[in-house]
Amino acid sequence: MKRWAWSESYTAWAFMAPGLILIAVFVFWPIIYGIPLSFTDYSVISETHYIGFDNFVKAFHDKNFLISLWNSLLYVIIVPIIQIISILMAILVNGKIPGVKIFRTAYYIPVVTSMVAVALIWSWLLSSNGVVNYLLLQLGLISDQVAWLSTSSTALFVLMFITMWKGLGYYMMLYLAGLQGIPSDLFEAARVDGASRWRVIWSITVPLLRPHILFCTLISLMGAIRVFDEVYILTKGGPGTSTLTSSVYIFQKGLEQFNFGYASALGLIVSILIGALSVLVFRFNQKGGVNPY
Amino acid sequence: MITATNHSRAWLAGIRLTIVYILLLALAVFMMGPFLWLLSVSLMPGKNVFANPPAILPTFIDFDNYVKVWQFMNFPKYIYNTVVITVMGVIFNVLLASLTAYPLATFRFKGRNLVFTILIATMIIPSSTAMIVHYLTIQWLHLGGSFLAVVLPSSVSVFNIFLMRQTFLGIPPDVRDSGKMDGASEFRIWWQLVLPLVKPAIAVISLLEMMAFWNNFLWPIVVLDDPQKYPLAAALTFLNGQFSYNFGWIAAGTMISVLPIIIVFLFTQRYYMEGIAGAVKG
Repeated sequence: MKRWAWSESYTAWAFMAPGLILIAVFVFWPIIYGIPLSFTDYSVISETHYIGFDNFVKAFHDKNFLISLWNSLLYVIIVPIIQIISILMAILVNGKIPGVKIFRTAYYIPVVTSMVAVALIWSWLLSSNGVVNYLLLQLGLISDQVAWLSTSSTALFVLMFITMWKGLGYYMMLYLAGLQGIPSDLFEAARVDGASRWRVIWSITVPLLRPHILFCTLISLMGAIRVFDEVYILTKGGPGTSTLTSSVYIFQKGLEQFNFGYASALGLIVSILIGALSVLVFRFNQKGGVNPY
Repeated sequence: MITATNHSRAWLAGIRLTIVYILLLALAVFMMGPFLWLLSVSLMPGKNVFANPPAILPTFIDFDNYVKVWQFMNFPKYIYNTVVITVMGVIFNVLLASLTAYPLATFRFKGRNLVFTILIATMIIPSSTAMIVHYLTIQWLHLGGSFLAVVLPSSVSVFNIFLMRQTFLGIPPDVRDSGKMDGASEFRIWWQLVLPLVKPAIAVISLLEMMAFWNNFLWPIVVLDDPQKYPLAAALTFLNGQFSYNFGWIAAGTMISVLPIIIVFLFTQRYYMEGIAGAVKG
């Protein structure tokens, strides 16, 4: 019996070995190695030294890093907006009306296409003589062409818009899965009691979706703070530093200028920030931040 | 009186349904419009991208842009690169996730809970410098410039392991017992008896990973030294800089890169959505 148990554990490790080794190297090692790396001046140019907290002191005096941190935090504005719009979208496509599945699919297409393609399309649509300006001019919403992505005051918000546009379908589907788990007699009972449509959404749908709201908030929060692809493809942080987000700055420091030590320190600061914000979201959710009663 | 109320009620429901459809259509234009517009641009060579009013539907159809981009930009090469990288990535992920998850779900051995806890911990701890350390690791392994270097860092994911474990837990233990009775090795039981039972989960992982690898552009650029080795998404950012004024070509190239993934998605939505919805429960 004992021998059998030993052989089972031997087989178990043999099964898991390839996967666990790769996880150790590519998931675990980056988390661990990033910490000591932050306390060195490791780069490709010179010898590596242990430099204590120098990188962190430098970081908090680095104007561009502080700007990038601020821009990343500003990006979090999209988190509540995404939740509201995608919940409303989920409610809209939850109805049992003919053809609704086609619409669900249509809304999901931006999620599965590459950010490279999406960024390219929107950069054309948003250029000064592009379609968006044409439509806004026709509607009389603007009086002059705006170069949306190369104007400091608009670029970051335009990027946020693109992030949302691409992600809405994803969150809609998560919320739809949640909605379909709510027994429909709950809605009927409320309707019979004469509750208005908005009242039903606020008092029944939202509280019952709470686990989904927590999940989606956390995912979109991390996505927002770590936003990279769309910024890197479209503006590379510019014009000036107006769209410089922390991930783009870390990438520039680390993999373009090869300051691995400094970039790791910046990464560690951002990781701690994300950790703290996630805890905050958890606490908020536990205390019933979305509880309407 | 009663018929009158019924009448007005039906009328109200009709209005409500109309409003719902108007909303659905408006959203569809918002989400699909940009793609349809790109399609029109790609099908109308010589027409200005910035022509106003914009053409959501093409006024004529000509595949000239597609022919040109295919010939001049070495597209078959980039498609080949993308397919190789994607196939490698999918196979690695399916095999490694199901190998690692199988004992975690069905075996009893010392350290099982520890492995499980550690895996969960890696999902919670955020790493913002992973790419830098990956780069150093790949250099250290002397893998720079190879497709293996592109695939390895994302060849196994904790999320996929959890998904597979959840699926394996739903398989009755009799399957393994009967295999043992017949004297089959654990590996054969896994390969011949258990894996065929979890095809839906394998499909989910394959789809999610296929899309991730197909669309990935940054890591290939970082780790591949030669643009000739780039997959489509990376090549497009590269070509965009080179042919920045040939909008028709770039539009056609972008359509070529996007269409396979959209087509696959359209035919496999059901599996795909199951995987997405499973993410919340897991």
